[in-house]
Parts: sequence; C-alpha cells; structure tokens
Amino acid sequence: MTARRDHVSALREGALASVPLMIGIVPWGVVAGVAMVSAGLTQAQAVAMSVLVFAGSAQLAVLPLLIAKAPLWVMYATALVVNLRYVIYSAVLAPHFEHLSRAWRALLSYITVDGMFALFAGKFQPEEAKPHKHWFYLGGSLVMWTGWQVSSWVGIFAGELIPRAWSLEFSATLALIAVLVPLLFDRAAVCAALAAGGVALVAARWPLNTGLLAAIAAGVVVGLAVARLRTAREGRG
Amino acid sequence: MGEAWFAWTLIVGMALVAFLTRAIFILPGSHLRLPATAERVLRYAPAAALMAIVIPDLALTQGALTISIENPKLVAGLVAFGLAAATRSILATIIGGMTVLLLMR
Repeated sequence: MTARRDHVSALREGALASVPLMIGIVPWGVVAGVAMVSAGLTQAQAVAMSVLVFAGSAQLAVLPLLIAKAPLWVMYATALVVNLRYVIYSAVLAPHFEHLSRAWRALLSYITVDGMFALFAGKFQPEEAKPHKHWFYLGGSLVMWTGWQVSSWVGIFAGELIPRAWSLEFSATLALIAVLVPLLFDRAAVCAALAAGGVALVAARWPLNTGLLAAIAAGVVVGLAVARLRTAREGRG
Repeated sequence: MGEAWFAWTLIVGMALVAFLTRAIFILPGSHLRLPATAERVLRYAPAAALMAIVIPDLALTQGALTISIENPKLVAGLVAFGLAAATRSILATIIGGMTVLLLMR
C-alpha cells in the first residue's frame, strides 16, 4: 500500500517538476503542427508523425527536404544526425534504468526529450538507490508528451485558419534557431556550426540535397579540429 | 497514391530512427561510457545539421545569396539568434523573430 503511494507521489513530483518546461514545448508544438501540414502531409500523416516520431527538431529539419522533394535516404540521414544527441542521453540514462523490465526501458526510451533529460540528469546520480526515480522520469515525460501532442494537434487542425500573409512557415526556422543556440556550448561547437552554415550556402544547389550532408560532415571535422587544437594548447600551457 | 506511400515510408523510417537513437543504450542496459571524441561528434553533428538547415533559409532568396539589411528573413533570423542566446526561451525567439519579419515586410 505504501509502496503504491510512493509510485504515485514520485509520478506526481516528476509531473510538477516538468511543468515550467511546457512554456517552451507548446509554441514549438504548434509551429511543428502548422509546418507539417504546410509541407504537404495530410492531417492523419501529421498526427502519426507527431505520435510515432515524437522528435520536434528532427521533424522540422526534414520538412524543408520534403518540400524540395529530396530522396528518402537524405531525409533519414538528416533525422539521424539531428537525433544523435539522444545517443548521449541514452548512455547517461541506461544505468538508471537497467534494473527495469524491457517494456519499461522501451517506454522510457520512446518518451525521452531534451528538457526532461536535463532535469533528471541534474537531479539523480546513477548509483543513487532511489527505487522510484523511473516514476519521476515517467511523470515528467508524460506531461511533456501530452503538451507536445496537444499543441501539435492544435497546429495541425487550426493552422489553416492562420492567414498566409503572416508567413508562419518562417516560425519553424525560428524554432530551430532556439533549439540550436543551446547546442553551441563551446568555441568548437560554434566553429562547427559556422562551417556547416557556410558549406550549406555554397553547396545549396548540389543534386539530391547532398549539400546538407556535406555541410554536416564539414562542421564535425572543423569542430573536432578546433577542439583538438585547444586541448593541445592547454596541454602545452 | 505514390505520394502517400512516400510520406508513410518517411514517417515509419523516422520513427525507427528516433526510437533507436534513444534506446541504443537504455534498452540493452549498457554501462558503456562514451569516449570523449565520440561524445564530441555526437554533440557537434546536431548543431552542424541545424545550422546547415537554418542558414540557407535566412540568406538565400530564390537560390541567390542575399546578405543585406534589406533581407527581412536574414535580419529576423539574426535577431532570433540574439534573443535565443539572451533568453534561452523558444517563445521569445519565435515572437521576436516573427515581429521583425512582419515589420520589415
């Protein structure tokens, strides 16, 4: 009986902790909803995408490619690269959840988002024996999931009421800028992003949108080179 | 018909990508610590990808490079970068950027 109450209170605690993150997720969801439909997806496809994919930045990154009729593999590659940050989260979260059943681990994988990951990783240590921390994670993630879905649906079904003259499609680019800036956490990351932006401009007319992939590769190479240069200098100093 | 098939293939493939990148260590219960270089690549690549999507939308007008203070998207985008850095707020970034764009048009 008490054990059950502990689950519920951890679930509720996580849900409450995640509420401030909703301020970010709601406009982002509405924008993604509008953008999916204006990129040519039907409403059913857009709902399926927001439920099945549940990765806002990857969804928004792929839409300009869909409009430009890029090949599938370029869109998959782009979604993969944008989602690579989740691989880091997965490595950090794995020790926290290793004692759980396979179904639990699958659920917590599916429902992972940036904001709740940061909150959880800041609050719990992996070796900490808090038996209900997965309930905390689930509570907060469910709030994020619901906020994302409901706001996406608002964008999907109400987006056509917004006048075209408002150029709302540009808000998708603005949302990507808001997600991009926190990723520029050091000088190497800034150099990586600038290199990628530059190459993307030069290679904009490459066939099959392969310029995007070249830009990403250039960015990673420059980022690693700058990071290595810095480590070498610190080592000498 | 062909278009519907294409969109559904895209959605299902992206769903797999999104799930597998999140589950890769959680599902097997792995205790691997990522090497520093691997972690760097995993951090730089998403930043590079998003920048490579954003910059052409700001600086190209129908395929031609338009670096000018009279390019509304470029100015709005730069304001958005400033707002995102200063506030870390998605809402402020979107509202500020859209306001600049609509005022300049």
